[in-house]
Amino acid sequence: MNDTLHWCDDKDTLIDYLYGELDAEAKRVFEGHLRTCLACAHDVEELRAVRTELAGWQPPEAALGFTAEAVRAAAPQPPTAAQTATVLQPPQWAFAQVPVWARAAAAVLVIGAGLGLANLQVQYGPAGLQVSTGWMTPAAAPARGAAAANASAAGWRPELAALEADLRREMQTLRTSTSTTAPEPAVASVAARAGGDEQAILRRVQSLIQESERRQQQDLALRLRQFGSDVEMQRRADLVRLEQGFDRFQGRSGAAIAQQQRVLDLLVRASTTKVP
Amino acid sequence: MFRKETRLVPIARTDEELVALSIEGDKDSFDQLIVRWERPIYALAYRVLGREEDARDVCQDTFLRAYRALPGFKGQAKFSSWLYRIALNLCRDWIRRQRRTRTVPMPEGVDLIELASEQGPVESIEDLVARRQMSATVAEAMQQLPEEQRTAIVLKEYHGLTFQEIADLQGCPLSTVKTRLYQGLSVLRRHLEYRGMTRTGSEKAS
Repeated sequence: MNDTLHWCDDKDTLIDYLYGELDAEAKRVFEGHLRTCLACAHDVEELRAVRTELAGWQPPEAALGFTAEAVRAAAPQPPTAAQTATVLQPPQWAFAQVPVWARAAAAVLVIGAGLGLANLQVQYGPAGLQVSTGWMTPAAAPARGAAAANASAAGWRPELAALEADLRREMQTLRTSTSTTAPEPAVASVAARAGGDEQAILRRVQSLIQESERRQQQDLALRLRQFGSDVEMQRRADLVRLEQGFDRFQGRSGAAIAQQQRVLDLLVRASTTKVP
Repeated sequence: MFRKETRLVPIARTDEELVALSIEGDKDSFDQLIVRWERPIYALAYRVLGREEDARDVCQDTFLRAYRALPGFKGQAKFSSWLYRIALNLCRDWIRRQRRTRTVPMPEGVDLIELASEQGPVESIEDLVARRQMSATVAEAMQQLPEEQRTAIVLKEYHGLTFQEIADLQGCPLSTVKTRLYQGLSVLRRHLEYRGMTRTGSEKAS
């Protein structure tokens, strides 16, 4: 009797038996007890049934293979024993792990940003090449498109006005000379005068054209930058909208799934309930 | 060409050999360890946490931590035991966080769309529904257990660990592991009987 009670209380042995971890002798003795003790035999039988049910529980098939990529992305370089062992080792700069082309691109960006911050201005005019930095001349700030255009226009406008005045003067003299004197000598005199001025006018027109081209390039750069920032803004707005859409969709599909599950629960329960 | 041939060889390598190579900086070796242990770790996390998405996160985090801590792994335990320990610690952290936020974990249920795509020529949709329903009930019952009992059952039933290995992982005496298993299985028995799922439970219900 005492022996029986001892086995009934000994749940460790029951578990050993359940998982087949008793040696042959202990197993024989315990099975002898099971033949005489209905409670323990029932216990074993029930726990076996639970184990059978547990065996059917499989995790959902997940598309694995994500881990290797995640590990690579999060820790691109494997840590070495030396790195973790040496406390005094200088910190590893993340920049040192970046490929060369990316470093070059970063350098260009940094220089560009630096020049932008310093508000570098390069001007080429009658006084030669002028390079200046600083924010003391707000007219040349690149963000102010119209101001920039006006500032660059300020250099060539007086010149254009002067040229126009010259040409008007020429026309005037030409008109007065044709009305008073014979045409041939007048043309000859104009041609003689024009011969001397021609070079100067040509130079002036060329410089005007160059100035105009430079201005157009500036305009183009400005427009490109504006376009780029517009596209970026739009992209961000789209992304936010997309994300919100996904969230809404997930919420909706989650609710639908929950509802389906409830219906399914009811169905299964109804089909398993026996009609009295 | 030559490199490809050499890549084929390590398939037969032991975990410990792959660990040694990984510490030397061989990424492929660690990839092989991931391929070998990703599914068991995911399954462990899924059964302990009861949620697919969280199990994926824990699985990923486990390997990330293992990768970072690799140089500290001196082979004092089996690599798999070490990995299980990391995963179980992460699961425990996750459960603590959940408890703090007081959200009730809902076991992954039956998804009809998934079912339709899974249905093979042999198993009828009714059988499939019943099987998935049973899995859901088991998952739900498992979630009712205290974490220590659930983990002990998962490690024993699905990962075939010895009582001693479970005791080492849980940091408790051998007999405590057996007590946890007995108590956990007994609670599951009552829960499944109530749902008329075990054989004896079905007999009682009829």
